[in-house]
Amino acid sequence: MNWPAFWLSLQVTAFATFFIFVIGLPIALLLTRTAFPGQIVVETLLMLPLILPPSVIGYYLLLALGRGSPIVEWFQIRILFSWPAAVVASVVVGLPLMIQSSKAALANVDPRLEQAARTLGAGELRIITQITLPLARRGIVAGIVLGGARALGEFGATLMVTGNIPGRTQTLPVAIYDAVQAQRYADANLMVLVMTAVAFVGLWWVRQLERPRQAPSATQITT
Amino acid sequence: MQPRLSVDIRRRLDHLTLRMQFQVEAEILVLFGPSGAGKTQTLQAIAGLMTPDAGVISLGDTMLFRQRQGEPPINLPPRRRRIGYVFQHYALFPHMTALENVAFPLGNSTQARRRAYELLDRMHLAHLAQRRPHELSGGQQQRVAIARALATDSPVILFDESFSALDQPVRDQLHADLRALQAERGLIVIYVTHNLDDAFAVGSRIAIVREGQIEQIGPLAEVCRYPANVRVAQILGIANVITAQVIGIELERVWLDWQGWRIAAALPAQPPALGEMVTAFIRPEEIWLVYPDRPLSRFANHNLLPGRIVEQWPGRRLFQVRIAVGGAMLEIAHPYTAYADLGIAAGSEVQISFQPESVVIVPAVSHATHDLRSHPPDHIRHAGISG
Repeated sequence: MNWPAFWLSLQVTAFATFFIFVIGLPIALLLTRTAFPGQIVVETLLMLPLILPPSVIGYYLLLALGRGSPIVEWFQIRILFSWPAAVVASVVVGLPLMIQSSKAALANVDPRLEQAARTLGAGELRIITQITLPLARRGIVAGIVLGGARALGEFGATLMVTGNIPGRTQTLPVAIYDAVQAQRYADANLMVLVMTAVAFVGLWWVRQLERPRQAPSATQITT
Repeated sequence: MQPRLSVDIRRRLDHLTLRMQFQVEAEILVLFGPSGAGKTQTLQAIAGLMTPDAGVISLGDTMLFRQRQGEPPINLPPRRRRIGYVFQHYALFPHMTALENVAFPLGNSTQARRRAYELLDRMHLAHLAQRRPHELSGGQQQRVAIARALATDSPVILFDESFSALDQPVRDQLHADLRALQAERGLIVIYVTHNLDDAFAVGSRIAIVREGQIEQIGPLAEVCRYPANVRVAQILGIANVITAQVIGIELERVWLDWQGWRIAAALPAQPPALGEMVTAFIRPEEIWLVYPDRPLSRFANHNLLPGRIVEQWPGRRLFQVRIAVGGAMLEIAHPYTAYADLGIAAGSEVQISFQPESVVIVPAVSHATHDLRSHPPDHIRHAGISG
């Protein structure tokens, strides 16, 4: 068992999940609560990582994080071939899941509840924090878990931007690939089992969250 | 001195133009009219959830909205208007308890919770304070919604078809509570409904809304007794609408030719012209069946017509009879104890009678707006078919 890879994977996943949440939720809020020209284009771009081959995403990230890119030249952020690059790759592929799930949950909140809150003297910030987000929390949490699970399983783009340095940038999925290449099947079997178990628990949790409650929602009386 | 809510707004909507002008004092004003007439939009404009194109909305000295030439525009956001609004499906926050819902406009302090508890107690719900909305019945949810609206401390509360989903006994109880609450706190209440029974159950005044405009506004009994025009009569669903020709006008009477019979009607405020075709209605409760074996007393002289009973059925409060008179149908409603010995059955020939005062001639168009509209009353050519 490749423990350094396991711990690195957890570390990358933890950071990636955090960023998926803090970036994804405001984007989802923006997309559900405002309408702006070109919104469809923006939404499509945000969904693109779901379909693009990981190598394409990896290539874009190499361009974005490599020499000559504004990120490197202006902000002096050099993370290529280090573990933060894996975080970036994981965030990019995990974000669409977070945004999709949160958007659906936010759009599902009855606008009449927000209107009621307005007539009761609440400002927009209070409405978002006390009405909209609590009512959408299940979808939001599901989005975080799905995005995090996707981050945990990220392989292709990570391979391209981290350079697969054992002990430093090698995550568990990459280590499995390495083990198979080197025909260390016992190692590979164990790591595959661990990955499967983690993924299973994650998805099972999401299903628990998404399961509708026993009692019907108060305001949804048939008209 | 109670403030007065004054509304004078215009707003172009998809299918009609809203032009609303009325004032409400400490009373219950019913906005009554068919669905899609613009009642809800009017409430939304008052609460600040919808912005009119032009006009003024004021509460006492406070301008809630102003958009007219030569004056700086004002449009207070809903949270600063704090108009109590009870939504059609209550719009309680499902993730909060009843108490938290009521405390929402009050804040987080202990004092806020105490006040919220008092309001729940006033609505007879103190024992359910910790329940979530889905654990409450429809009537209880509605009471929480009212308590929450009261918590805004607004002198104005708007009800948007709020009781329409409730069972009749619950609704009756809530109507009684609402009247008591209004009197107790001197509230300005606007109550939107398309149910005439509900209107009568709560209202002191009624505004008949049709296609975005008020056709008539006044005390309930007066509007129902003297509809300003034929459209108001139609919206109110007034029964026994007939068309007849004016054949004589006297000091207090108008003589009408209805299907060849000469009947007397009360002289309306706007006397019709001789020979004119007019629309009138006869109140179902004020048509009498004549006992064949008893001397006629006060009805003897006029309005004595032959009829044939077509059907009869028990109504909620009064016994209903449908009677064919000539080519027309009239509805009659009478107390269950009346005519018990008459043995009326479908098919039997009877005589009916009514006083001239029971025949109300309805103006074809409202007097005040006569020059604005010119609909001839020909859309009621199904004369004499009861509503």
